[in-house]
Amino acid sequence: MIPVTLLILLALLAAAVPVAAALGVLGLALGEIYARFPLSLAMGELAWSTSNSFLLVAIPFFVLLGEILLRSGMAERMYAALVQWMPWLPGGLMHSNIVACALFAATSGSSVATAATIGTVALGEVERRGYNERLFLGTIAAGGTLGILIPPSINMIVYGVLTETSIPQLYLAGLLPGVVLALLFSLTVLVACLLRPGLDGTRIETSWEGRRRSLPDLVPPLFIFIAVIGSIYAGLATATESAALGVLAALAVAAWRRSLTLAVVREAIEGTMRTTAMIMAILIAAYFLNFVITSIGLTAQVNNYVTSLGLSPMGLLIAVVVFYLILGMFMETLSMMVATVPIIAPLMINAGFDPVWLGVLIVVLMETAMITPPVGINLYVVQGLRKRGRIDDVIIGTAPFVLTMLLMIAVLIFWPDIALWLPRSASR
Amino acid sequence: MRAITTCVDRIARAGVWLGGALILLAVVLIGIDVVLRKLFSASIGGADELAGYALAIGTAWALAAALLDRAHIRIDSLYLLLPAPLRTFCDLLGLALFVGFFALVGWHGIGVVQQSWASGSRSQSALEIPVVVPQLLWAIGLGTFVVIGAVLFLTAVGRLLAGDRAGAGRLIGTRSAQEEIEEDLQAAEARRMPASGR
Repeated sequence: MIPVTLLILLALLAAAVPVAAALGVLGLALGEIYARFPLSLAMGELAWSTSNSFLLVAIPFFVLLGEILLRSGMAERMYAALVQWMPWLPGGLMHSNIVACALFAATSGSSVATAATIGTVALGEVERRGYNERLFLGTIAAGGTLGILIPPSINMIVYGVLTETSIPQLYLAGLLPGVVLALLFSLTVLVACLLRPGLDGTRIETSWEGRRRSLPDLVPPLFIFIAVIGSIYAGLATATESAALGVLAALAVAAWRRSLTLAVVREAIEGTMRTTAMIMAILIAAYFLNFVITSIGLTAQVNNYVTSLGLSPMGLLIAVVVFYLILGMFMETLSMMVATVPIIAPLMINAGFDPVWLGVLIVVLMETAMITPPVGINLYVVQGLRKRGRIDDVIIGTAPFVLTMLLMIAVLIFWPDIALWLPRSASR
Repeated sequence: MRAITTCVDRIARAGVWLGGALILLAVVLIGIDVVLRKLFSASIGGADELAGYALAIGTAWALAAALLDRAHIRIDSLYLLLPAPLRTFCDLLGLALFVGFFALVGWHGIGVVQQSWASGSRSQSALEIPVVVPQLLWAIGLGTFVVIGAVLFLTAVGRLLAGDRAGAGRLIGTRSAQEEIEEDLQAAEARRMPASGR
């Protein structure tokens, strides 16, 4: 059963069948081959219940939030403010890139939106200041991945829905690792610039007057973060409701900046619905597939198979990490999560791993997948913004940060409290 | 043919608008609900339920526009290495499977609507909405998607039969593959220009 499933899935994906169709057709095929009664009868009910799930409503909300922020001018001002505050480190603006990504990630649930927004703002500075272009591009591609680790996070919502884990707990668990990863990225830039001073660029004129004046521009991102994350922990809103508050806050910021025009709303809505339809199509198909693989006993078979291998929990963990690192080179992250988490999470939780911690680990692995070639969405995003040269420049510039990411995975494994400390102390 | 394509495009665009409007409405409704709950310990009751319907109906109606914009994710690592005829085959296969799968979902969706109609079931919230109403709007959205998907498939086949593979690729190829095609075209044009003396 396991080889047949893998064979069909790989064949469909290799033929570039849209991921949603690949998962759905796999479900139909497995049902046809292995089920004793027609499972497709449940399709309608499953599709309806997935489509109107209140938890998933958070997805269009976060996409819309990102679309509005992208067009609101908030990111430009925030970036300009951060530039004022951190010129003294070796690596200069590259640290601003990472901090801007981390700050933007605190308002955005998506890594693509983070890299795209900060990249749009920052890329003009490469030539003007004479930075090493490759490393500069790397800071944006890698920094952007923080989008899904620092709450809010679309991927954490999907993980939470698939594994029935509390989304507020996942958010809390992602916060500290997000900050640590941002620091590690900055450290990477620092080490690189100390080893090879040629990577660095010229400094920007800063003054205490400029710094003071820049402070108000840091308020909007803070405001949105508080609306989204603060409202959850103040007990005002559920995860989905907080996303709606985030959209309202973003609309308010855009209106305040006088960038809320009809054209902006129209573009934001079009982009939002396109992305939502794409994600929901995958989720609808994935729910059907999950129903089929549970019904035909595939989940149990995988479980038995892995148990028969007699791996220690650590052995299993390493196998899972390697699995995701390899798969992540070739697969888009949301599809990868939806296709694998329903099987891998129960395995890992049975082996004694904490579901919240596992969520954070998987999100960090997804971040790695976003910057590992040949298929790494953030590499494409940055190259797309740059509109010239070869993608190899982005890949090479991002490579040091892939190593940083591996270090982060090790930190999570050997020091799980970095993720679990906050949720644990909050629930006390 | 062109008239049909334009018409299909308009319907898909209108679907996006419908979906987007519903999602925006859900945002506002939930915002009001949270404020009311905090300040007046009151609630609209059922904002979450309505938001769920907005997502279901909005998704169904936006599927077509995402298809026309080729926004549905395909993994093209291997695909890009294939020769053009095989790529075209993959495009047609992928489109057929995608539309086919959602046609089946829509078909069983009609069953869900019929069942709700027959049992007259209402939602469990204070709103007591007859669930057949949102379900019907959802199923009609899926049906519309299937029709648009079929039209897209036929248009692409039509272009292929007319020998216009690049044109078919613009309709149903992956985005990156299409960019490559355009680059090729531009390169070809650039090569041709000195020869034609321009």
